[in-house]
Parts: sequence; C-alpha cells; structure tokens
Amino acid sequence: MSLPALHVVRPKTVDEAVRVLAQHGPQAMILAGGTDLLPNLQMRLYAPQVLVALKEISGLRGARAAKDGALRIGALTTLSELLAEPVVRQKYAVLAKAAATVAGPLQRNMATLGGNLCLETRCRWYNQSHFWRQSLGGCLKKDGTVCHVAPGGKRCWAVWSGDTAPALLALDAEIEIAGPAGERRIPLESLYRNDGMNRIALQAGEILTAVLLPAAKAGWRGVYNKLRLRNSIDYPLAGVAVAMDVDGGGVCRDVRVAISAVNPAPLLVHQAGETLIGKKYSRELIERVAHAAIQRGKPLTTSGSTPVYRREMLELYTRRGLEEVWGGRTHSADRND
Amino acid sequence: MSTHSIIGKSIPLTDTPGKVTGLGIYANDIAVPGMLFGKILHSPHAHARIVRIDTSKAEAMPEVKAVATGRDTARPYGVLPIGHDENALAFDRARYIGDNIAAVAATSEEAAERAIELIEVEYEVLTAWTDPLVSMNAEKDWIHENRPHNIEKEYKHEFGNLEEGFAQAAFVREERYVAAEINHAAMEPHSTLAVWEPDGRITVHSSTQVPHYLHRTIADVLELPMSQVRVIKPMVGGGFGGKSEVIPLEVITPVLAKKARRPVKITYTREEVFYAHRGRPITIVDLKMGLTREGKISAVAARVIQDGGAFGGYGPVTVLYSGALLGALYDVRNLRFEGRRVLTNKPACGAMRGHGTVNVRFAFESLLDMLARDAQLDPAEVRRRNLLQAPCITVNGLRVTSYGLPECIEKAVERSGWREKNGKLPYGRGIGIACSHYVSGAANPIIRSNMPHTTVNMKIDRDAAVTVFTGASDIGQGSDTIQVQITAEVLGVRPERIKLVAADTELTPVDLGSYSSRVTFMAGNACLEAAKNMREQIFAAVAKKFGCAPEALEARHEEIFVKNDPAQRMPFDEAVVRAIDFHGTLVARGSYAPPEEARGGKFKGAGVGPSPSYSYGAQTAEVSVDPETGEVTIHRVVAAHDCGKALNPVSVDGQVIGSVYMGLGQAMQEQMEWNEGRLMNPSFLDYKIPTTLETPPIESIIVESEDPEGPFGAKEAGEGSLAAAIPAVANAIYDAVGVRITTLPLSREKILAAIREKRKREQAAGGSKKTGGAA
Repeated sequence: MSLPALHVVRPKTVDEAVRVLAQHGPQAMILAGGTDLLPNLQMRLYAPQVLVALKEISGLRGARAAKDGALRIGALTTLSELLAEPVVRQKYAVLAKAAATVAGPLQRNMATLGGNLCLETRCRWYNQSHFWRQSLGGCLKKDGTVCHVAPGGKRCWAVWSGDTAPALLALDAEIEIAGPAGERRIPLESLYRNDGMNRIALQAGEILTAVLLPAAKAGWRGVYNKLRLRNSIDYPLAGVAVAMDVDGGGVCRDVRVAISAVNPAPLLVHQAGETLIGKKYSRELIERVAHAAIQRGKPLTTSGSTPVYRREMLELYTRRGLEEVWGGRTHSADRND
Repeated sequence: MSTHSIIGKSIPLTDTPGKVTGLGIYANDIAVPGMLFGKILHSPHAHARIVRIDTSKAEAMPEVKAVATGRDTARPYGVLPIGHDENALAFDRARYIGDNIAAVAATSEEAAERAIELIEVEYEVLTAWTDPLVSMNAEKDWIHENRPHNIEKEYKHEFGNLEEGFAQAAFVREERYVAAEINHAAMEPHSTLAVWEPDGRITVHSSTQVPHYLHRTIADVLELPMSQVRVIKPMVGGGFGGKSEVIPLEVITPVLAKKARRPVKITYTREEVFYAHRGRPITIVDLKMGLTREGKISAVAARVIQDGGAFGGYGPVTVLYSGALLGALYDVRNLRFEGRRVLTNKPACGAMRGHGTVNVRFAFESLLDMLARDAQLDPAEVRRRNLLQAPCITVNGLRVTSYGLPECIEKAVERSGWREKNGKLPYGRGIGIACSHYVSGAANPIIRSNMPHTTVNMKIDRDAAVTVFTGASDIGQGSDTIQVQITAEVLGVRPERIKLVAADTELTPVDLGSYSSRVTFMAGNACLEAAKNMREQIFAAVAKKFGCAPEALEARHEEIFVKNDPAQRMPFDEAVVRAIDFHGTLVARGSYAPPEEARGGKFKGAGVGPSPSYSYGAQTAEVSVDPETGEVTIHRVVAAHDCGKALNPVSVDGQVIGSVYMGLGQAMQEQMEWNEGRLMNPSFLDYKIPTTLETPPIESIIVESEDPEGPFGAKEAGEGSLAAAIPAVANAIYDAVGVRITTLPLSREKILAAIREKRKREQAAGGSKKTGGAA
C-alpha cells in the first residue's frame, strides 16, 4: 500500500526532538534511516500521525573517543559509515563483521546504528501486508487475539532480528539515551525486554543518541556467524556473536557470547564467561558453551527454515565462533556483499 | 558461414540504451491526462461463495469514478479454448486467497485503497482444497462444478512395449520426486493502462508476452469487436511465462476504463503478482526406469501429478509437456506417461520457463544418475550411450531435425574437467552432470487454425529507412534485435538503418506471442522471408540498370553490386530510389507456419510437444557440501547449449546464463510456502531468489548444429538450459556426500538430515565408505 498521510517534523536538536516526541506521545514515531519503519508503515503495522525525522540533528553521526576512552558512536551513523571507520574495523572486529551482514549495501547506506538497535521484532505472521493479516484475522501483536506461533499463549514471540545488537552485547556496549528527564547511560543489555510486543525499554519521548564501546574491549578477537539462506539482503535465522580476550599463552582472559534471531531479544550467553575464563583452548569447554547457547535460544516458527534446524545451527555457530577466536579455525570465508 | 556480416555478431541489444539510462518506457511509466488509479479487492478466503457485495459506500466517495464486480466481467475466458473457466472478477465464488472480488478506479492510488476498504462482502465459506492429493479425491465443494473430484485433466500415453523394455533391463529403479511450487519473479510487476478513446475504442498498454491473446480476450469479455480494441506492449521487464496468458488486471483495467469513460491504470504490488502467479506447479513424479547392462535405457514409466491451483490456464499443456519431452532427449523406445492436473484452492499455476519439462527432467536425470552408478558406468558415458540418431522421429512422434547433444556432452565434459573429477574429489566436494532440451516453438497453435503463426511486414520509403513491422513481443530476451540483425544481413545494410515497430495490434501483424521459445525461430523465419522479398524488389531495379540478372547481385556493406564484377556497384540509398521509381513505396511481407511434418502424432494430447526443432544442452555443476550444516556452495557450472546457430552470441550466452541462474534458484532455495492455502512468503524478502553472491561462475558454451529449418540455422536458446541445472547440482551433491535428495528445493535441512541418516545406516551396518571425518 502507499504510505499513509503523515506529518513529518524535522527537529534540528536533540532537545527539540525530545520535546516534539513528548508533545505527541504515542502518536509520534522516530524516523532514522527508515529501512525498517517505512516498509512497516506501508504494511500498516502502525498508524502514527507524526514522524520525527532525526536526520537534520547535527552531532549524532560519526565515531570519536569519549572521556573515559570509550569509542562513542552517534546513533545516526549509517552502517556503511560505521564499516568505513578504521577504528571499528581494527579494534572491534565483532561489530564490523556483524554490521557487514546487515541487509544489503543499499540498505546499509540508509540504515543507522541506532535504528538497527531499535528494530521492530519480526514474525512471518506479523510482517505481512494489511490484506494478508486481515485475511487471517490478525495476530496477538496486531489486530487479533491469537498467536499463530504459540496458539493459546498470551505472549508474543516475534523475534529480535538485528545483527549489530548481539555484537554490541558481546562488547559490553553502553548506550546514551536522551529524554524529557535528561540524559541517561545504560548497558545495552538493559534496553531489551525480551517481549515480542514491547521490545525495548525506551520511555515516552526518549531517543537513543549514542553507543559506547568500552576501551577495555578494544582489540578483542571477534566473530559473528549468521544463519541465512542468502549472503545478502536476508535477516538472520540465527546469529551468534563471540568476542574474546586471549592472552599470549592462549588462555581466555575474558569472553562474551550473544545470540540473536531466536528470541524476542538479543541475549547474552552468560555461561560463556563462567565456563571459559582462565582456561586454555578446549573442545569440550566449547561444547559446553554451545550447549548453553541452545538452552538460552528458543527458536519457534516465527521465521523461515525450521526451529529444529535453527537450534542446531545456533549450537554449531557458537562452537564455530569460539573455535575461530580461540582455536584459530575458520570454517568458511565470509561471503558478504 | 563466415560470409555473414551481421548474423553471428554480438551486437548490443536494441533495448539496452533504455535499460541502462532508465529512459525505457514500461507500462507503469506511462501516464495520460485524466488517468485514474485502479485497485482490486481480494478474497480473504481460499474457497467461499459470494453471498452479497455492497459497493455503495465506495461509490459514494467523490474520488471514485468507477466500481466493478463480477457482474461486469461475466464472460469467462481462459488461454486454452477448452478451458474458459476464469472470470477477471469472481462471479459467484472466490477460489483462492487473493482471488479478485471487486475493483475501483479513483483519482488517486490512496483514494482507491480507501475505497476498497469500504466494499462489504458477505461470504459463505466452503471446504478449501489445498493439498492436491486430497483435492483429487474430493466428494463435495468442487472448485469448478464441471470438473468432478477437482481433476482438471488426465492423460495416458504408451509407446513401445513397457513389459518387454523392463524385462531387458539389468537395473530397474523407481523413485518419487516432489518439486515445490515456484514463481517467475520477473523484476517488473504486471501493469496495465487502459485508455477509453472518445470514439468508443479502447487502447490497452500492458506488460504482456501475448498481445494477440490479450487482444482477443479483451474484445470477448468487453463484447467489443476486435477492430475496436488496440493492444500495445511497451518494454517488458521480464515474463518467463508469468505474462503469457491474460492476467486478471488486464481485463479489470479496461472494464474500469469503459465504466469510468476515463483512462485507468493498475499496477500490481509484488504480493498481487504472487496471487496472479501462473508459475511452476507443485509436481509429484513417480518415475520408473530400466537400464540394460550396456547402459541403454530400456523403458521409462512416469506418473505425474501437478497441483494446478484454482483455474485450468495452461495446465493441460503443462502436464502434456511433462510427458512429451520425456521422448526427444534420448533414444527411449518404450515409454509410458500418465499425467494428471489437479485443481486446488490456490493461485493458478501456468507456464514458466522450461514449461512442464523441468521437474520431470530433475527426476529423470537424477534416476538415470543412480542407474548409471548401479551399472558402474560414468554418468556422462551413460548419456552418450542413449543418443538419438538424428534426423529421426521419436517414439512419441516428435521430429528431430538437428541434434547437438553429443557435442554438448563432449564440450561440457572437456571444459569442466569431468574425467579428472567425477568420483575422484574428496569427501564434501562433488561434480554432477545432466542434460536437457526444449522446443523451438510449439508446432501447433493454441487456437487451432491453419493461419501463419507470425507475419512480418517491411517498408522502405524515400528516406531509405527500413521499417520492420512485427507482432513479436520482445520481453527482454532480445527478439527485436534478432529481427533487426536478420533484416540487416539480408539487405546488406547497417542495423542503424532499421527501425522496428513491434507488438502493437493496430500497426503490426499477428504473432502468437513470446512463449515456448518460438520467436527467433518463427518470427525470425518470417522476417527472413520478408527481407528476401524486399531484396528481390530492389535487385530487380538495380539489375535493370546494370543490365544483369537479379540473381547476379549481392547486397553488402550498404551497397548493391554484381558478384562477378564488383566494380558495378550502387549505394543502398540510390538502389532504393530506383526501386521506388519502379514499384512505388517498397513493401514486403513474410510469414511462418511450422511444416505439416513437424506437427506430431494423432493421439489425444499429441498436439503438445511437437516443434519444428529442438535445442539441446548438457551441464556440469561442481559443488561442495558442508556436512555439519548441509550448506551447498556451487563453485562452477559449465553449460553447453545447442542453439543451432548463434545469431547473436552474447545474447545466447545471456539466455543460457539466465536459464542456469533460474534453475539454480529453484534447485537450492526458491519455494512458495503454503499454510492452508495462504502464501507465507509473498515478497522478495521472503521468496528467496538468489543474489549474485550465491550464483557461481556460469560458463556458457555455444554449440551450433545448424538446423535445416531455422533462420540461418538457429533454434531456441532461452529455456532449454534451465532444466539441466537442477539435476546437475543434485547429482553433484550425491558425488560430494553420497546422499540423494529427491525433493526440491535441495535445502540444507534435507541434506543435513540425509547425511545423518546415511551415517546412521552405515554405522548400523558396521562399516563406512565415503563418510568423511566430520562429527
């Protein structure tokens, strides 16, 4: 369908954007790159009256060092710009690898890092046209009462399908949020609510303005494995981000593993640290973390392929990711566009 | 044949500038003053009686200028004369989710969308038949009342002696193969602009492969004489069969235009393209084949069930092709075919590149590969041992005039390194081979008649420009360019001198359309005849001036000269002026109808399959398989294709590469996913046509068998190479990891499960051969 009639506001400052958002309340939505929002609007997944376009706000783009040595990346930085940042490529490998797998080059030229962290959750019963959903009587998340993934349930399982979020969780990133009550800085992990219906913990009028990569994580080894049918365009069917700090003797000093596209939120696999820190490479320990990943991940019929296969690949990709960063084994060359 | 100056040259296609600059005009690019925008209301039910439609609220909107329902499209139509079972807007019954119920024309797209929402429809829901195997046993709620048990059509053909054939076999195998449903995924969605002329005529611009059939259908449904209807095909962004029959919007748009007395345009959304569909059906093939110890195919028995969706469409032809073309690739003397087309409550299937032959070829080439291994023969060698001896007539009555298959196999084997690789690659890597073929146009027209299948007119006036009027529809495959090349070659002029006017029913003679790979062969022959006729007229005038016989002349490089005395020469422009002095404005005509001998046997269903000639192809695919994920990486495809004569080699390469690409998409990942009649993936995000990253290098090898009846020896190039791509990959997967996948797509899930199953079996048997070291 054509885009609905909308009023677009183009604030010049963050304060002004916060004010406009607060003024319109639930009638307003934030427009960054638009690669997620605009198709969803064409499908009539929401009916806002006002779009607050952030594009003209200066200072929300690019990466620079913060006072505490963290790398501060503006939320409006496009994924293409992010990938062009030498410091990201050299010091935060897992983020660069994950960002390179998002959609295709055209989308990455538009899509922003902040937008990618605030993606709408996805489900094949939800991301459909107005006609398609209507013909089915809607779903729990939109215009209906039944979840077609887990009929009888009252919870929405629409899946988190971002690629940069798991990478940033693996880097223990923080985010800056501007809102009516001023600025706050929180761990990225606490942004996600693991609820398909209500995915992120942004309050009314709040805007995600920046991402902070801690200095302590610079130089960690990292890898992102993404299950998808095509090596471009596709959302993940499962994603595993692995970041590890390894000392000269091959001992794991620290490690973080995060998974995506198998739950309504990107989630850390906390057992990775407990299991691997202080240890030397061990196939058996890796297997234990891979097993923990599938305890954490709950793939359902929200997405293509099958839950069984996605679960298996989640385990395998966790194992392969750890083997690559720890054991130096690469399984296949990256085939991104 | 090096005497040609333009034939055989890779000149750029005539539509290239429009494509690369974005200036090419497709149907949706056309806008006219006063134009309205149409939208269609679709059925939310797979099968339901329409009890009541109330359009009053939509009609009350000031922006709405016309509303149409089934009452306005009450005359049924269908591409086959035997199957007029379709109404552009459902008359009394909705037969699939997405069926067309009502339509509006409004002053803006947005208003039309709002108006659609205001139409109230009351349905009485009926049993929805969505599984073909269940549908064909239905006892009630038949999708069409005159099609009992939802069976559209059944055929049974038997040639030779099956019993004897199987008795001669040393190895017999029988397997069931199932192919998922796929869509053409043409880049351009369907679009139609209908202009109601003040004098009561109607002009329709439409993205069609078949202007002539559209012309007939619009006249019929709107109850207008054909002389009052004009159909124009602008640039078309791909068809692949999806625009080869009349699509509902092509009738709905003119109906709205007639009601509104204003121009109306409808362009489908991608989702609507999936509802209009007409793609390759779910196909269940039970195939049995016998092979002698020497590797000769001794008998073939195939039972084919196709899930046709809600309307007949091309269905009977599709199912017949799946049987007929079992016969013309190899020398098969004993052949049985049982085909059944079943109706279901899903969008209608239809013709798609390789029409009817592709899924059966996947089955055939897979099973032949297994039998070759049973006989401990090289799969390439088995194919060599079953060649036809052309020219010949096959057991099912197909006349083969030229046969480049032996050379195709040889070249594919050579280029791919087959001998060094077959069976010798390490675990996880493999190579496979398969062959395929296709018709160069159907020898029998859909609407039975003895009229030419195509006619080309030509005109030259004082400016010495050559205008070619052809009904043939270039849909991106390059047929316009081919006709320019043929004309330029015969008249000995530069292609720039030629202006082609194509596919406009008011200006151009009838051509049956761009389907069954008929255009280069048929329109090419018509064009050749017209150009020769034109040349005769020019030569007559020049011969008079030089005092020689017309036969002594030659036309080349923009000049006419005496062959034996080249000093006697005249520029083309001057020759034209002399000829006009003599004849008036020069006009010429050529036409083509396939010869009687090419039209096949006399049995029921014999009309489908016969062609004036057949293309041939052999392909190898080299793959690796990750045994832990089932993921397949295709490293390289070598595709040798016998196109008779490459009139434009780069265009042939493009067609072969495109065919292989489409075949690989179907092989690996494309499928329409159904849930109770609901299409789960009606978008290019979820329907997985391959990107360039999954597409391997595809090496096209052109084989030229010089067909005796093709224009300059040419035959088809656009479809024949598709079918081999799928079994070549399936056979390569077997070579890599020892598993046979018998259902399409060859997905990772299936391959991984099969690898595990095999390992389990081997462990149970206590030994393992080629299983590799992975856990």
